[in-house]
Parts: sequence; structure tokens; C-alpha cells
Amino acid sequence: MNLKERFRLSRFISGEKAVDEPVTLNHRRIFILPTQRGLGFAVLIALLLLIAFVYNNNLAYMLAFLLASVFFVTILHSYKSLSGLVVQKGRSKAVFAGKAAGFEIHINNPGDMERRQIHIKLQDSQSLTMQPQSTAHITLYSITRQRGWHEAGTVTVSSTFPLGLFRTWSPIRFNLKALVYPKPAHLEIPFPVTPSAQGQQGFSRKSGDDFYGLQQYQPGDPIKHIHWKAFAKGLGTFSKQYGGEDSAQIRLDYELAPGHDVEQRLSQLCRWVVDAEQTGISYGFSLPGLKLPPDNGPAHYRKCLEALALF
Amino acid sequence: MMMKTELDKNVLIFLLSAIGLIVFPHVYHIPTAVFGFFCLLLAWRFAGVWKPNLLPGTAVIFLLAACGIALLYSLHQGIFGRDAGTNLFITALGLKLLEIRKERDLYLISYLAFIVAASQFLYEQSILMAAYILLVCCLLLATLVTINSCKAQTLASLKTALIITVQAIPIAVALFILFPRLEAPRWMLFNEPRQTRSGLSDTMEPGSISNLVKSYELVFRVKFAGAIPPPEQRYWRGPVLSYTDGKRWTPAAFLKPLKSPAVTGAPYQYTMLMEPQDKNWIFALDMPKGFSPPLSLNAGYQLITSDSPGKRAEYQVTSYTDYNTGPINPGEYRTATQLPGEPSDRIKQLVSRLHGFDSPPDDFIKQLLNHFRAEDFHYTLTPPVIEENPIESFLFKTRYGFCSHYASAFVYLMRVAHIPARVVTGYQGGELNPVGDFLEIRQADAHAWAEVWLENRGWVRVDPTAAIAPERIEPEINVTRQTAYGIATADKYLPLPAYNWLKHTRQLWTSVDYNWQRWVINYDNKSQSGFLSSFGINDLKAMIYWMIAVIGSITAVLCWFLLYQKPKTADKVLLIYSRFCNKLAKHGLVKNPGEGAKDFAERAKIKLPERAEAIDRITAVFIRLRYGRTATGEDLQQLKTLVGLFRA
Repeated sequence: MNLKERFRLSRFISGEKAVDEPVTLNHRRIFILPTQRGLGFAVLIALLLLIAFVYNNNLAYMLAFLLASVFFVTILHSYKSLSGLVVQKGRSKAVFAGKAAGFEIHINNPGDMERRQIHIKLQDSQSLTMQPQSTAHITLYSITRQRGWHEAGTVTVSSTFPLGLFRTWSPIRFNLKALVYPKPAHLEIPFPVTPSAQGQQGFSRKSGDDFYGLQQYQPGDPIKHIHWKAFAKGLGTFSKQYGGEDSAQIRLDYELAPGHDVEQRLSQLCRWVVDAEQTGISYGFSLPGLKLPPDNGPAHYRKCLEALALF
Repeated sequence: MMMKTELDKNVLIFLLSAIGLIVFPHVYHIPTAVFGFFCLLLAWRFAGVWKPNLLPGTAVIFLLAACGIALLYSLHQGIFGRDAGTNLFITALGLKLLEIRKERDLYLISYLAFIVAASQFLYEQSILMAAYILLVCCLLLATLVTINSCKAQTLASLKTALIITVQAIPIAVALFILFPRLEAPRWMLFNEPRQTRSGLSDTMEPGSISNLVKSYELVFRVKFAGAIPPPEQRYWRGPVLSYTDGKRWTPAAFLKPLKSPAVTGAPYQYTMLMEPQDKNWIFALDMPKGFSPPLSLNAGYQLITSDSPGKRAEYQVTSYTDYNTGPINPGEYRTATQLPGEPSDRIKQLVSRLHGFDSPPDDFIKQLLNHFRAEDFHYTLTPPVIEENPIESFLFKTRYGFCSHYASAFVYLMRVAHIPARVVTGYQGGELNPVGDFLEIRQADAHAWAEVWLENRGWVRVDPTAAIAPERIEPEINVTRQTAYGIATADKYLPLPAYNWLKHTRQLWTSVDYNWQRWVINYDNKSQSGFLSSFGINDLKAMIYWMIAVIGSITAVLCWFLLYQKPKTADKVLLIYSRFCNKLAKHGLVKNPGEGAKDFAERAKIKLPERAEAIDRITAVFIRLRYGRTATGEDLQQLKTLVGLFRA
């Protein structure tokens, strides 16, 4: 780190540039400033000095000096309350826009000292006590607004231990981001009616209604479609088949999604994808520049949502 | 910032107890009404810890505040000054106790409590009080620690507070010694209700001086231009008391101005630095001869000043210890032989047994002093109180007395034998301050002795106390002399080892206490510059440099002490792993900074295919230890073994 970077103000607030590896809190990472209470304490010391001065009272002087010294020594203790902690990023989970994205953070206390107060903050703050040589696993949440990649931002580890006169903090940035899917539209608009990809017969039936037979269960078949009665009788595991190859398929196409702008359309598409996945029908998915063949199941579902998020 | 919606019960109990302890010693200093009011509020708040419903609402607090203000107003002290300020802060503290809503309030209360703790020192500065306040401040700090811990752990908080306080002491002491002491400017001094200063009074009763000898308060300093008189000559002359009613001694009105005494021998030239006094007496070395206005000599050869005695003043005086006051006039003779009534038969018998009536005055004086020495007379600071006939009771019954007893009994017996005699009060001795090369005379040196008029010699000083307690006159620098001696005679009947032990402990304690008084309580502008100049620190600039240097070095030591940590488990893992890396380095495999353990292992495996398995296992254990969630001590052991076995 060169001198210019070292004195950049943003280091105090948003931390150094984002990293992947675990961060050990040391003198480079830890900042200490008096709190409001600390400033109050300084005023108290000044007042005691004034009393001592006016009355020429040596013990009052002594008390003032002792408190001033306590104030000073507390800086070291404040530093000690964070130094040596190892903060490491964990995983993150994708969420829909508007929900809180969770980021896992692991904090390890390698020392022999109990940390009696640690606050860790992203948008919300959590407090914890750490035993010597222990690791804490924390999930921090951050409210998302837009689809796309949501950066975790600065994780601030802080403490006011021991006396609350100083706040010591360490802003850390990790390469930690969560994928944010578009917010599913509220409106329950029926799936778009599309000409079957193969049939091109000019009509389409709503899938899900047309039961036409049973088939040996295959991994990936929706649980709802399992023929439980047959399963209960011990006949084996079967999946109910609906619609038929062509008729039970729908195609969720960007072009067919209603909406005034891109976001609204994506939002609607997202709604359809969620609904389709829940109903268990196969759905094809197309965005400008992307076409996914009809399928069903978590992998497909995720692929569609990711495409929506990053469109 | 942590916000507890409900304040922790433990924190509150902790804080309230600390505050109770801080205010408690004020019971002696503040009006009962204020103390009672505070106790009421504290008890109320304590009850509120368990029953929050009991706590008053805003309206009631307002009413209580009004009561508090009315109470303070009724004391007519205003808001400035020691007493008024103390009352104000204690009342405010009590009221604030009832209104604890947020963490912020706890802090405000703690800060107020610190101020109240400091105000304690304006009343009492004993070493015990200092220790007490230090402990209670530790408690207050522990409260703050508890507030700032996620879980309230009382013992751990106390320990932390104690550690912080102990670590803070060196810097505090350095600041104490080096922080420039200045006298407060006049406008800052509040008009205190005038404190009556302790000091000699113009009357004397048996036992009246003994309350002074416990005070180490400085009366005056004397700096001699040449030689310093020997200790047995250091009698600092104060009021002369000639008239007695049998119990109380008062100065007599002298009829005629006296003649100046004839002096011989070497003069002592000196400068007197008087501390503020109530009376305009200047305690010159017996006998003052050379002085200039505003000083004048009164009929009792006592120097008085016409200046206000209320501030420090400096006077140049010359004295001669060898003097002759010459003949006395009839008026003086009359007052010097005055008796309150016919002496009792017992006293007359005593005087005639000691040949008071049939031998020259010189012999009688010797006989009487011998009598004091040979008989069972004791010298004590705490003589029994004698109401009736004090002189006779002292001579025949109690025989425990202080200098005033001996002086008055001696003078009385002299007068019975028709020898003119009178009591002189003042100070005796004084301690040489080697730093400033001056004598310091304290209230503890207050003394009373006798003067006898002898033919051809004039008034001659006789100190009957010297017959009893030669220690008081002999050159003894040990300041514990009076107290130690006094108590020792009182404890005479203890078995010897226990008595010796007790005596030693007491001597030790009194000397500790004296040094506390001298070096801590009285450490002022002058003693500071005296002390510091012995280290070559002479001006403010040097003081500040030294302060920075000393605090800096203490901080460095503290930093090392606090922040240096032994290699911990995590570092042990790295240590073992680096041993592994070193082994690989022999093959030219050097781990790049920033290269992950896994990548490095892959690289190593290509170069050392025959060791691939070992490399993989070591890397796996290392990663588990370093980044895994469930690393155990066994893993560490395993890594150690694996690396140990690894032969590159």
C-alpha cells in the first residue's frame, strides 16, 4: 500500500479494496476514535482539573490525572478488543429483489483472550461475545432493491469495549455478492398462450389438466406429480404425466410478457417462472439472445432466474 | 451502537451501590437534609430495580427537582464554592438516578459520581480516604465495563476495571509529579465562608495544644542567612501568658513598655515566610532583636505585625539566643507572681519538700525538674480530661500530661515559691528541609514552656517538658516523635513484644502518613520546583519535555505488555506449514505470496509426483485447520506428524 492509499479517507469508512482471503485485523485495519461518551469523559477530566486548580487540591488533581490516564490506557484496550480477529467471507444466497440477501461471515478469535463485545454490521448489526479460540458464524442481511449482482459492501466489525469511551472499528470489504432476481410481479396473469414449438397447430391447451398416463418416476420429476396412491400400495413410484409432449409445454417469452418497460416485463416473466416451477409443468424460456428448451426442476429454474437477473 | 431496551438489572445494582459508596463519606460534610434527600432518592431507585412500577413519572420527578432546588435555596449557599457545589452535585446526582432511561443516562450519572468523588477530597485528604475513593472509582469503571459487555459478568468486569486502573497509575503518577502547578488567580477563588484556621490561641488551658500537634499544617518557614541554631535553641516565641485563674492562662496587660534586652553572642539572621494566619503574631526565634516595620515587639518580647496576617508574608529578623532582659518592674513582678487563690496544703508541702521556700530559685528549679523526671510523670498526647483543679490533679493524681500541663504546673509551683514566672507559648523545633535548606515549622511543633525571672539574668527560659520527654528537645528528625511517644506511654501496660510491634507499626504508619501529607497533599508549586530542580528540571519547557518523554516511555512499556502476544494456535499451524514449505523449498518449490495452499500443492505434485499423496494429505489437514469450521487439536497434532514425516 503506498502512502497515498494509506491516507485515503475512505479507508476509515468503507475499508480497503475488496478481497477474497481471510482478513486479520491489525493496526492497518483497525481505527479508533472517541465516542460522544468519550468526549464527555474528556470534559469531566477538564472539570476535575478545574476543581483541583481552584482549590489547589492535590488529590483532586490525582483523580483527574488518573482518569486521564485511564482514558489514555483505554485506547490500547480498545485496540486489543479487535486486534487479531480473523474475518472470513462465507457464502451468499440468491434472493428476489426487495428481500434481504444473506451473507455468511465467519469470525475467528485465535487468541487466548475473551472478546466481550463485538458488533458486526452490514445493514443490521449483531452483537456477540467470543470465547478464546472459537469461531462464530454469522449471517448478515442486506436489503436488495434491484435485480442483478448485489455487492455485500462494507462489513464493519466494531467494539466499544472496555469503557465505551472509544469506538474501535474495522471496515472490511470482501468480494462477496449475491445474485438478485427480479421481483416477481404481483398480478396473476395467466401463462402466455404460445403456439407449440413442435405442433404449430394454432392452439394450445392449458397444461396440467390433461392427464394421460403414468410413467416410471425419474429423478427430477416434480414431487406433486408422484402417484402417491400407487406408491402407498407398494406398486412402485410413478409419475403422473399430463398434457402430452406438446400440449403441456408452455413457453415463457420475453416478447409476450406484458409491461411498459423492461423491468416490468422481466418482473412478469419472473412471476411466470416461479408459478410454472411450482405447478411443475415444463416451461421453455426465452429472452432476447437466449433460448432455453422446455424443462422443469431446480437447475432449470435457477438458470431462468439467473438469466432474468442478469438480463 | 448497542441499545438495550431494558437496562440490565445487574448493571443498575452495580452502579447504584458504587454511587452509594461514593456519597457515603459525605455524611460528615453536608447538611443532614441534603444527605437525607439523597438517601431517599437512592433508596427509591433501588426499590425501582425490582419493582419498576414504583419509579416516579415525569411530573413527580419535576416535583422532586423543585424540592431539591428549594432545599438548596434554603441553605443560602448559592451555587459556587465548596459546600454549595457539593450539595448541588449530590442533589443533581440523586435526581438523575430516578431518570435512567438510556445508556447515556448511566454515563451521565457515572460522570456526576466522579465529580462527587473528587469533592470528597476537598474535605478530607487522608491516605485512607484516597484508597477508598480509588476503590470506589474502580467500581464505577467496572460499571462502565459491564455496560459495554454483551453479557453482564460482574467479576470479569471488576477484574478488567482493576487492570485498567492499575495500568493507569504510572502515567497518573508521572502527570502528578510533572504537571505544572500554578496558583489559581484571585478572581477564581470563591468567597468561602471563612475557615477558622487552626493555630495557637491567646489563651491556654491544660491540654489545649494537644489538638494542634496532630496537624501537619505548615505555619512558617525560616531560611537562615548563616548558621542554623541547634535544635535545643529553636524556640519560636509566641504569646506570653501571665494571668491564670487556676485553669486558664491569659495574657496580662503590661503596664510599661519594656527595655530592649541586652544581647551577646552570635546573631542569627533569617527570613521568615509566614503562612496565612488568623493572628498577627510572628513567631521569631527567641530572642528577636533586629527587625523593621511593620514588625514591633510587644511587652512579652513577642513580635507582632501591623500587616494583615491573612496572606503569606516574608519578614527579615535578627535574633540572639544569648540574652539578658534585665530587671523587672513592680507591675510585671505582680502579674508574674499572681495566683488565683491560696494554694492548697498539698501543694505547699510539695514546694517545701523540694526546698522551694528555703533555697535559691536556681536550686528549686532543678529540684522541681528532678521531681518531674524521677516521679511517675508521663508525656502523652491524649491526657485524661481534668475538670476540677487541673494543676493539683495533674501533679498528684493523673500525672499524664502534655507540654501545656507541665508548663502551667511548673509556673504555678514557681509562683507558690514567690519566684516570678510565666507561660510562653509558641513553636519548638522545626524540621530542616534539605531541598530548600530551610526550617519548616508546623502546627505539630506547637509548644508551651515557662519563663522564670532570675536576679541578674532577667527572664530565663525553662522547658519542664524537657525533663519528661527529652526526645522532644533533642535533635530528632523523626517526625513521629510526638505521636509515637504519646501513644507509647499510654500503651505501657501491653506485653513487651506486642508493645514493640505495635509501636513499630504505629511509627511506620505515622511516618507513611507524614510523607503522604508532605509529598502528596502539600506538593505545591514550591515543592514541585524544589523536587524537580534536583533532577535538573528548571523551567516549564523542560517540564513539558520531560512529561512527554516519561509518558511516552511508559506507553511503550504498556504497549509491549498489552499487545505483545505469544504465538497462538493459528500461528502454530502456519509455523508447521512453513516447515513443510521449507522442505519443499529445497526442491526449488517456493510458495508465492498470494498463492493458495491448494495451487501450491498442485505445483508441488507435478515436480514431486512420488510424494503426491503426502502433499495432498498435508494440504488437506492444513486447509481444514486454517479455514475449516471444525478443526480440532488432533488435526494440529496430525499436521505436525505428517510434516515431520515428510521427506522431500
